[in-house]
Amino acid sequence: MNSKQIQHLYWRAGFGINPNELNNLKKNSKKELVKEFFLSSKRSTSLKISHPNYSYVMGNNLSAEQKKKIQREERKRLIELNIAWVERIFNPKELLRERMTLFWANHFVCKDNNSVYIEQFNNILRENALGNFSDFVIEVSKSASMLKYLNAKQNKKQSPNENFARELMELFTLGVGNYSEIDIKESARAFTGWNHDKNGDFVIRQRLHDTGEKKFFGKSGNFEGEDIINIILEQKQCAKFICEKIYSYFVNSNINEHHINQMVHQFYPNYNIADLMEYIFLSDWFYNEENIGTKIKSPIELLAGINKTVPIKFLEKKQLIYLQKILGQQLLNPINVAGWEGGQNWIDTNTLMLRLKLPSILLTNAVISLAGISEFEDSYEQYLKSKKSRKSYIKIKQDWTTFQQNFSKLNAFQIEDILFQVKPSKEASKLLKEIDSHNPKDYCIQLMSLPEYQLC
Amino acid sequence: MKRRNFIKNTALASTLFYVPSFVKAFNTIDLKSIGYKRLVIVQLSGGNDGLNTVIPYNNDIYYKNRPIIQLKSDVLKLNSELALHPSLAPIKNLYDQGYLTIINNVGYPNPNRSHFRSTDIWHTASKSDEYLTSGWLGRYMDSFGKNPYNAIEVDESLSLALKGKSLSGMAVKNAKQLYRNTQDPYFKKVLEHHNEQHLSEHNLGYLYKTMIDAKNSAKYIYNSTKTYISNQEYPDNPLGTQLKTASEFINSGVDCKVLYTSLGGFDTHFNQKGRQDRLLTIYAESIDAFIKDLKKNDTFRDTLILTFSEFGRRVKQNAANGTDHGTANNVFIIGENLQKKGIYNDGPDLSNLDENGDLKYTVDFRSIYATILNKWMNVDDKIILNDTFTPLTFL
Repeated sequence: MNSKQIQHLYWRAGFGINPNELNNLKKNSKKELVKEFFLSSKRSTSLKISHPNYSYVMGNNLSAEQKKKIQREERKRLIELNIAWVERIFNPKELLRERMTLFWANHFVCKDNNSVYIEQFNNILRENALGNFSDFVIEVSKSASMLKYLNAKQNKKQSPNENFARELMELFTLGVGNYSEIDIKESARAFTGWNHDKNGDFVIRQRLHDTGEKKFFGKSGNFEGEDIINIILEQKQCAKFICEKIYSYFVNSNINEHHINQMVHQFYPNYNIADLMEYIFLSDWFYNEENIGTKIKSPIELLAGINKTVPIKFLEKKQLIYLQKILGQQLLNPINVAGWEGGQNWIDTNTLMLRLKLPSILLTNAVISLAGISEFEDSYEQYLKSKKSRKSYIKIKQDWTTFQQNFSKLNAFQIEDILFQVKPSKEASKLLKEIDSHNPKDYCIQLMSLPEYQLC
Repeated sequence: MKRRNFIKNTALASTLFYVPSFVKAFNTIDLKSIGYKRLVIVQLSGGNDGLNTVIPYNNDIYYKNRPIIQLKSDVLKLNSELALHPSLAPIKNLYDQGYLTIINNVGYPNPNRSHFRSTDIWHTASKSDEYLTSGWLGRYMDSFGKNPYNAIEVDESLSLALKGKSLSGMAVKNAKQLYRNTQDPYFKKVLEHHNEQHLSEHNLGYLYKTMIDAKNSAKYIYNSTKTYISNQEYPDNPLGTQLKTASEFINSGVDCKVLYTSLGGFDTHFNQKGRQDRLLTIYAESIDAFIKDLKKNDTFRDTLILTFSEFGRRVKQNAANGTDHGTANNVFIIGENLQKKGIYNDGPDLSNLDENGDLKYTVDFRSIYATILNKWMNVDDKIILNDTFTPLTFL
């Protein structure tokens, strides 16, 4: 494989690659390179922050003051968890697993203000990221956060709530239009009474659970929730839906039916995610020119990529959260149940200008305005307080030593090669020739400030 | 290139710096104001308590449910049933002049009580179980916008409401600062070599096109507004500042059809009274200054102001002297040319609540959007809302 192709693999299956890493891999075959991704992701290391004893959170007899206090503390812990996740993405050991976790978080979209439950949920994504899709769906469906997020509590035998059943089919497994309204009504009954206890463990509240006969996808029986999920996965459409979603994220948002058919053939009926991903990364078409350098980086990919070039550490956690927010992708805070649309949807005039400025903001301590940290200010007074410190230098520690070790010996072309996945536009090339490229630090920042760097 | 000429012209026009503003205003009216309608939106974030904003002051159920946070003696009476919150005197003044329509019980079927989700629903004009990635004003931009500055959010980043599929609005908090950002000498150099004709349709072309848009838009807005100075005094609060900026865009003739502003802090779960008093004072005083400013420049007649909140609050107060998330709420429409002035429809029926003890909606918020799109902005609302709504008669 040539360097561009190795870089492609590392951008899509990981979060980019730096010159020294690339150097060490250059002689390896495709097979060896891909195998390494799976070897290094064999284990799953949970993401964990520290929580206080949480039994009191669920208590109903809390005063408004106490509730407020807990909410405030929980918001802090969610920030902590967000930061821990970003740091994990910046320095992953199980590279492919972390990349897949980020992908699944935008597939099984979920949000929770309880930091214990959402941490559990996040680790379910991580543990199942390369496992069996069928187990994955069942575990997600039984997680406390998802049960809460999709109104399981309101789903009772006496008055079924269809929210979960609908999202399960529309967003998680089949895609819109591949089931009937009757399928939703009937399957919602199978999930009645599904709930969780204080620790976040799954329970079925038998009193609220409908054990009667259900008709679902032409079958009838006293189906339980797990049965429903199994019947859904028997539909080849489910494999197709997942393959298309994986293809548009990892390969190209323009779907190639021929490639999808090959993937479905691999994926169905075993639903082994690792096998499917290996198949993609070993295929010839994954490395086709039309798939390289055509994807608009998500804000997290953009940040992770800059970190790959110059390792950075955010000294003020809130600034990292705020950056994610104004760039349009705040981890653990998805825009809605359907997740971020991605692609050109990341870009508007404001986000693009910020994205282009990001390298200089992060690496040369340029000022950015930091107004409006939280969407719903606790109070107007708080707003006024924050108003006073609205403009502040973003506080970051850059690791220029690592940067120098990677870039000091490279010439302008080599730097361009490693930073750009796309061939620069004619005009950009002209400009680059005019720029003095003797200082790799300045040159890298200049390259990363071009629209070309927005693609991977 | 037409746009370039236009920018040149506005740059020339900036020599009008010393002309008194009323003369300039006169000019802009002649040139563009005829049939030029603008929509200003004020979003009250956090869920404003509608029942203590427009108070059913003769209703026993109201008083029974709100023993501590009820408003009684100093409310501003509108008719025999409804009154405005005491902090809203300037709004009462608008009501008296026929510049205000209050639409009661605005909501949507199967209401969602989450801030984020309900805000999304209002922003995208979706059904409550439908997830859209473009906003209603973004879709207006897709179909009828030409430049990002046709819809401006006076803030740092863009709300979903203004995000379109092919063309989004832009966020401008400070025209000068935005201009400076886009005039970064390096970016200037980057764009020196590019022009729109040569851009490919692919993602790279799209990025360059957006970059050119950003630069041109920032320059256009800056050039249009830099010579205009409002002599109206605004209250020093976040909404006042936003509306002042909005008035500068409007009165200097920036080609924007939509201006989006917001005021946060309405999530009053505890000790609601003092907080809501202050917030509504901010709202009323800012709107008051804004309208005075527009009137001075004769732009009020072409401006319509829509005020909404993502939901109202529960009828029954909670144990912390606050209120929890509710459903239907009132919406204010402010303008000079209202067809149905004052109170548009019956106030909430407090004896007929849903299973949570929340108000039942009687007016779908999308029918308000449809009315504004159709009768004020003169576009086909069905293209934007993907559905048919019976227009209301306030316009």
